[in-house]
Amino acid sequence: MRNSFYFLLLLFMFSAAAQAEQALEPVPERLPSARAFLLGFGKTHQLDTYLSPMEYSGTQISFLAQSERMTHLAQQHISFQSTFHGAFTSSDNPAETASYLGARLAYDAAWHYHYSPLKNLDLKGGALIGTDLGFLYNDRNGNNPAQAHFSLDLSLSAGAAYTFNLWKLPVRASYQADLPMLGIMFSPEFGESYYEISQQGVGHDILCAHPGNALSFRQMLMVDFCLKRITLRAGYLCDIRQQNARSLKYHDISHSFMFGIVRYFGELRIKR
Amino acid sequence: MKRFLSIIAVLLALLTSCQKSDFEYDATPQGNLDALWQLIDQRYCFLSYKEEQLGFKWSELHAKYSEKLNPSMSRIQLFEVLCQMLSELKDGHVNISTSLDLGRNWSWKEDYPENLNTELRQQYLGTDYHIGSGLKYTILPDNIAYVVYESFSHAIGEGNLSDMLAYLRLCNGMILDIRGNGGGELTNAEKLSRRFTNEKVLVGYMCHKTGKGHDDFSEPSAEYVEPSKDIRWQKPVVLLVNRSCYSAANIFVRNMKEMPLVTVMGDQTGGGSGLPFSSELPIGWSVRFSASPSFDARMQHIEFGIQPDIPCSLDEAQAVQGKDSMIEAARQLIAKGK
Repeated sequence: MRNSFYFLLLLFMFSAAAQAEQALEPVPERLPSARAFLLGFGKTHQLDTYLSPMEYSGTQISFLAQSERMTHLAQQHISFQSTFHGAFTSSDNPAETASYLGARLAYDAAWHYHYSPLKNLDLKGGALIGTDLGFLYNDRNGNNPAQAHFSLDLSLSAGAAYTFNLWKLPVRASYQADLPMLGIMFSPEFGESYYEISQQGVGHDILCAHPGNALSFRQMLMVDFCLKRITLRAGYLCDIRQQNARSLKYHDISHSFMFGIVRYFGELRIKR
Repeated sequence: MKRFLSIIAVLLALLTSCQKSDFEYDATPQGNLDALWQLIDQRYCFLSYKEEQLGFKWSELHAKYSEKLNPSMSRIQLFEVLCQMLSELKDGHVNISTSLDLGRNWSWKEDYPENLNTELRQQYLGTDYHIGSGLKYTILPDNIAYVVYESFSHAIGEGNLSDMLAYLRLCNGMILDIRGNGGGELTNAEKLSRRFTNEKVLVGYMCHKTGKGHDDFSEPSAEYVEPSKDIRWQKPVVLLVNRSCYSAANIFVRNMKEMPLVTVMGDQTGGGSGLPFSSELPIGWSVRFSASPSFDARMQHIEFGIQPDIPCSLDEAQAVQGKDSMIEAARQLIAKGK
């Protein structure tokens, strides 16, 4: 019930962003092209009922490499964003008698339409295509020691950025949320063994993914600020990956503090 | 701006929502028994078959064993109750692993004669036998190859097999002794089987659970043994087995029974046809259980073992004289030209 409530709120947010897209004017004067590289540290909560019915908790170390630039599409209202996100996790069961080791690598390419209703406020909405590949390894399971995760999704994406001065220094706060809507994912059958998968292939284990069986979500709240000549970025990244298919449940929920540097390149002038 | 901030606040609240596991975490004795009972109820692949064969009702065992619990019982007491409940399944692939002990039911071998004397077997091998990874082999005085494979956990390579068969190629037949082989890697069983057929042979079927219901299974998929492209054995084979042949060794016997030149001799095998999975309990103990059943080529269960073509047991009187009656019977069979 609570999931449905949040889902409706998200849809509301995306529809607001879509309405914003319909208004072509005004657009921001300048949108910078930026590249950022951040390292993160945080907590993770992992459940994979193929491996264990217990939720494991632990730490995550991650990196995020992101670039964003304006394109010439739609009179330079559309930006292209490329994001690599990698994470390494180590977590324990509640009794601390077993551990998961995990790794994930995700890439997504996003296109956002930008709209600026206020002078320092930039709203954006669009879509992204992303893929996510990873595994979770249990250090004591016998014939089912690990589970692979793969997904390829088309997501809705929306965000906002607000620029202001703090103690006479320019600060840019940005937020972005991504919600996978349709794609494919890997999920073995309830009791399917590696031996059978190796004999029969994985073709039948690729399923259609949608919010009904894979309600996933990623959100980033970042603040860019200058320190002498470099621009730093600090923020919070929440990544929720979930599956509920074939009587198997999976989630990997991480909350990370991210910190890194940003390089802004020649600012692009946006036509009115 | 207020709307923007409120949307962010709502999205941040999403952090608290997630997909929950199927059961509530409860580390009390009752919580652990509930978790174990549910695990077997939903994921154990032989429940309907065992209920029919052994005459218990899994649904009734929850209440039966819950009565034996009390909130202040020690860990070892809880371990004993949980093991008692699992022992109803009479499955060697069902275990609870703890730092205290390994919960097990080995009645499939402990309730029967062993039909194996490893010292006698060593006398047949002698001291100058060959070792090819997990395979030990020699040529007996009557020009019969004698091969011992003690565990399918011992890896064997294609090169090991080819070298062994090349060395033994002039022998009149082969005694393949897997008595005491408690299983291991299915891939090793398949690899060895492929050396004993010239054609693709249907050896059995396998399926897996597709849901939590006792009878939620996938369509059985046929399992074939394809002939090896390397050296293959073309002479009579006697496969010596006993009750300790379990799991992958049981599957190997199933495969070999379909080969034209193979005679299975000895006692019924121990069984163990469910490919095991691992899970765990709230207290942190690891649980192993059968998850994917295998069948023979006639779609019959082999969970309780496979009957030999020629029943045979170890004669203690001959053993005293330094003779393994099962090996001797195998030699006679090969000498007679099968």
